[in-house]
This record gives sequence, C-alpha cells and structure tokens, in this order.
Amino acid sequence: MTDLVITDVVADGGRTAGAPPKARRDLAWLGLLPFFAFLVLFLFIPAISVFRNATNTEAGSFSFSAMKEAFTGQNLEAFKFSVKFSAGAAAIGVLFGTLLAYAAATATRPRWLRNLVTAFSGVAANMGGLPLAFAFLSLLGRQGVGTKILNWAGWDLYAGDFDLGNVAGLIVVYSYFNIPLMLLITLPAIDGLKQSWREACSNLGGTSVTYWRRVGLPVLAPSLLGGFLLLFANSFAAYATARVLTDNSKIVPLRIAFFLGGDVSIGEDAVGFSLAAWMIIIMVVCMSLYWMARKRAERWQS
Amino acid sequence: MDPTFQNPVAPLPLDPEVGLRPTAPTGLAPAGVGRPRRRFARVVPNLVIIVSAVFFLAPLLTLARFSLQNVPTILLGWNTLFDKWSLSGLTKAFDDPNFWPALKLSLQLAVGTVLLTLGLLLPTAIWTHLRVPKARSVIEFMTVLPYMIPAIALVAGIKIIQPHARWFLNSDFSLIPFYVILALPFTYRSLDAGLKAIDLRTLVDASRSLGAGWGSTVFRVVIPNLRTAIISASFLTAAVVIGEFTIADTLLKETLPRFQATFTGREPQGGYGLNLLALIVTIGLFVTLSVLTKKRDPKRKSFARLAANAAMTPGNPGS
Repeated sequence: MTDLVITDVVADGGRTAGAPPKARRDLAWLGLLPFFAFLVLFLFIPAISVFRNATNTEAGSFSFSAMKEAFTGQNLEAFKFSVKFSAGAAAIGVLFGTLLAYAAATATRPRWLRNLVTAFSGVAANMGGLPLAFAFLSLLGRQGVGTKILNWAGWDLYAGDFDLGNVAGLIVVYSYFNIPLMLLITLPAIDGLKQSWREACSNLGGTSVTYWRRVGLPVLAPSLLGGFLLLFANSFAAYATARVLTDNSKIVPLRIAFFLGGDVSIGEDAVGFSLAAWMIIIMVVCMSLYWMARKRAERWQS
Repeated sequence: MDPTFQNPVAPLPLDPEVGLRPTAPTGLAPAGVGRPRRRFARVVPNLVIIVSAVFFLAPLLTLARFSLQNVPTILLGWNTLFDKWSLSGLTKAFDDPNFWPALKLSLQLAVGTVLLTLGLLLPTAIWTHLRVPKARSVIEFMTVLPYMIPAIALVAGIKIIQPHARWFLNSDFSLIPFYVILALPFTYRSLDAGLKAIDLRTLVDASRSLGAGWGSTVFRVVIPNLRTAIISASFLTAAVVIGEFTIADTLLKETLPRFQATFTGREPQGGYGLNLLALIVTIGLFVTLSVLTKKRDPKRKSFARLAANAAMTPGNPGS
C-alpha cells in the first residue's frame, strides 16, 4: 500500500517537471468522458435534431424549403418584430447601462453606493421570467399604479398604441435585466480608464470632449459593441416574460412554442424547427462576435 | 481624548470632490485643479442614479401593493393608501390543491439538479485542473454552449426526441439533466474560479504523500477548500431551476412557475402574491450568496465578480 502511494507521488513529481508520458496523458482525457457524454446526450443530440428536422422533408430527403419558409408570411413578421424590439432593447440597455456604470464608478459619496449598485445589478440581471412580467403589469399595465400616476401628471400612457406587449413596452420591461447586465459588463472597462490618461489629455490641452472622443470612447468601444450583441441575443431569446405580456405569438420564441404546441399539420412542424434552427444560428453569430469583442476589450483591463 | 487630535499616521481623508488619492505628488496644488467643473459634473450622474433607483424599485413596490392590498387601482388615492392590506391573496394560493405538489416538484427538481451538477462537474473540474489542464479551454467553451442554444430551441430538440424516449421524458424528473445544462455556464464558472484560487496540485500532493487515498483527498481536502464555490454554484442552480418556465411549460410539467402562470389567470391577486414570493426567494438566494462569499474571501469583491462572470449572459431572464 505504502509502495503504491510513493510510486504515485514520484510519477506526479516527474510529470510536473517534464512532459507526462504520452500514453498516460491520453488516458487522462478519458476522465472527461462522462462530462462529454452528458453534453452529447442532453445538449448536442437535441440541438442537432433541430437542424436535422428543419432540413428534412416528410419523405426524409434533404431540403432547404422549411428553412426558407421561416422567412415568409407571419414568420417573417415575427422575425421583424423580434429584431426590432431586441435591437431597441439592446440600444437602450447599452446607453443607460453605461451611464449608470459611469455614475456608479465615479460616485464617491456615499461610499456603499457602488457596492449596492453592483450587488443589485447581479440580482436584477438574473431576474426575469414570470415575476418580472407581472411586476410590470402592476406598474404600467392598464390598471397599473404607474399608469395612474402618469395620468394624474397629465400623460395618458395608453392614449396612443402603447402596450406592454408592443415594441416600446417590451423594451421598457427588458431594460430591467438588460441595463444591470450592461452595467456588469462595462464596469470593469470603465474602471480600466486610467486617471492618468485624462490627466495626459488635459496636459496636452484637450478638453473633456476631446478626452471622450479620442481616448475614452475608443477604449470602451469593444465593450459597448460586445454589450450590444449580448443584450440583443439576450432579448431575442427571452421567452417567459414575453409569454405573459403578448397575447399572440408575434415574436420568434413564442412562434416556436406555437409550432411545438402541436396544433399544426404534420408537414408544418418542420417550419417550427427551422425557426428554432435560425434562432440557434443567430445566437451563435451574436455570441461569437461577443466573445471576440470581449477578448479585445480585456486588452485594457489588467 | 482631544477630539481635534489627528493621528499623524492615519491616511489622509479622501477628497470628496475628486475621490481618488492623487496619482502623483501634487505639492500644494489645490484639489480640483484641471477639473473646475467637477461640482456641476456630478449633477448628471446623480440624476441617473436617482432615476434608475425609481425605475428598478417601482415595479417591485407595485407588485407588492397589488399582492397585499385589496384596493382596485381606480380607487387608490391618498385616503385609501393604507386600507385593506392583508395576506389573504397569498393564503388563497396556499389553499389551492395544486400549489403544494407544484412547490414540491420544483424543490425536488432544484435539489436533484444541484446534486447532479455537483456530481458531474466537481470530478470533471478537479480532474481537468490536475491531469489535463490543456482541456480547460475546451471545457470552458463547452460550458458556454448553452448560451447559444436558448431554452426554447433546446426544448424544440427535446420534442423531437420525445417519441423515442418516452420512458424517460414522461417522468417529471427528466427535466433535471436539462436544467443541469441550462445552469452549466454559471456553475462551471463558479467551480472553475474556485479551483483556480487554490493551489490544487500542492494540496493534493501534500494530502497524498501524507498517506490519504483519493477519496479522503477529495472529500477532506479539496471540497472543504472549495466550499464557497460549491455553495455559489448550488445557489445559482437553485435560482435557475425555481424560475425556469420555458421547458417546463412546453413539456407540460406542473412546476411552480407553471402553476404561477395558470393560477394568476384564475386568481390575479393570489397569483401576483406568488410571483412576489418567487421574486423574494430568488433575491434572498442571491443576497445570501453575496454575504457568504464576502465573508469567506474579504479581499476579492467576490460577489460583484461572480455576478459579472455569471452574467456573461444570464440564462434565465429568458427561461
């Protein structure tokens, strides 16, 4: 027994010093097998099935027709609507998230403010789903307290075509988790803006505007762009909140659910899967670009 | 003691206008040189903070009012503001025969998901750090894949498999592995960060050379050192499971969020109360998490960092 332990330690020591024997290193990869098997079973197989069913005809041959049909009629409307409100929500989130991050980063009084803001953002960025939707219904719904207060202040929220399920309404609701998420992304970048850069800028005769235009914004740009992509993807894929706020399936995730609900004829369900396939493609593109932007943003943070 | 006495060694008080210690010796230059409009410049940031505070608190307050006060909004005014506050809406929810089974299922799913997550990820993460550090980037990439396959797309795939795996998917507990997947980005990051923070190899070598077997090395040396990471991974997982709606709704599993949705349709006030409770529980999980991680590790702003990491994308606003 003791012998075994000692050999093991020696082997360990040898490995730390030099490269491990090849056979042993290959065996070590086997230890990751359960994890990979789990991913294959519960993530890859469902994801690949989506693409397979989206590109298969009833007869079982390969066809792109369902993938194309995802961009016609009501499906196209859903895509347009989703892209419109997701881009809007992302833009608002980037703008106010960055402003709030800057305000929190530069605030000196009270001292606990910054910690409170980041801690709350950690919670709010993960808030969502049903409770958030109902919270906003109680605030800005037709019978909402906020609606009543605004009305009393002379602004009839529902005079136009405002509705929590429309573009403007969804943007307001999604801002609740988008703004804090953006704050968490940009705060490290804003902390990375060094005081000495500002001093250098003003020593060279630059004004505050010069500083932001030539130094601040270019350094923040990758974070802002990455944040936009992330918030876009985040809004595009959200399901539960929109499910409560909109009554018909006018955004892409709800349309997918409509097709999955099974009230469609046999041939039709391929369209639902092709919508899901497109959604995965859009998410992959957004997230990959986000990763690239993030890598670039980290250059100034150390 | 003389109240005007100032400890000569104490650090200089921070200049409230500038906030940061001078980056270079500034001699006798008065604070604020080079930034004369500083006082005015604080107006905008302060305004942003105040407006944000209203925006983020208002929905929570109105949700609480709607759940706990039985006064229609039309009649709400200064004189009715304090009328008819009660917990009756909530008790209505508790009296519903479907509430307790839904709560029980959600709690079982949460416990099951936490156990499966730890059982799967702890060995994988420890093994990767010890034996195949080269695989770390591969694994990290794998763990962010669930971001790219949102819950609604994942459940579309599950629907396709369903006819071939009814024996499995008919059980309510078949949700557990999929919830492990949904929480994977949060959980793996948290465990990975925990492992990075300790000198795993030295700990393991020391324990092994003192004669401990692998079992006691893992359970008595490694895991106690990872306590914070394990707790945060578990809490994040629980928060994801308790709020997950998309998959449960599509597969018609009667979890708590699904009950919340249907019950709110029948009994708005009680339903809003349930949502308020769900919100409070989630916030409670996160706050406990922040307190726990802060105490263990005062040097790092663990929670902020953890949250920032976890929030690389929050998986659950959507779900």
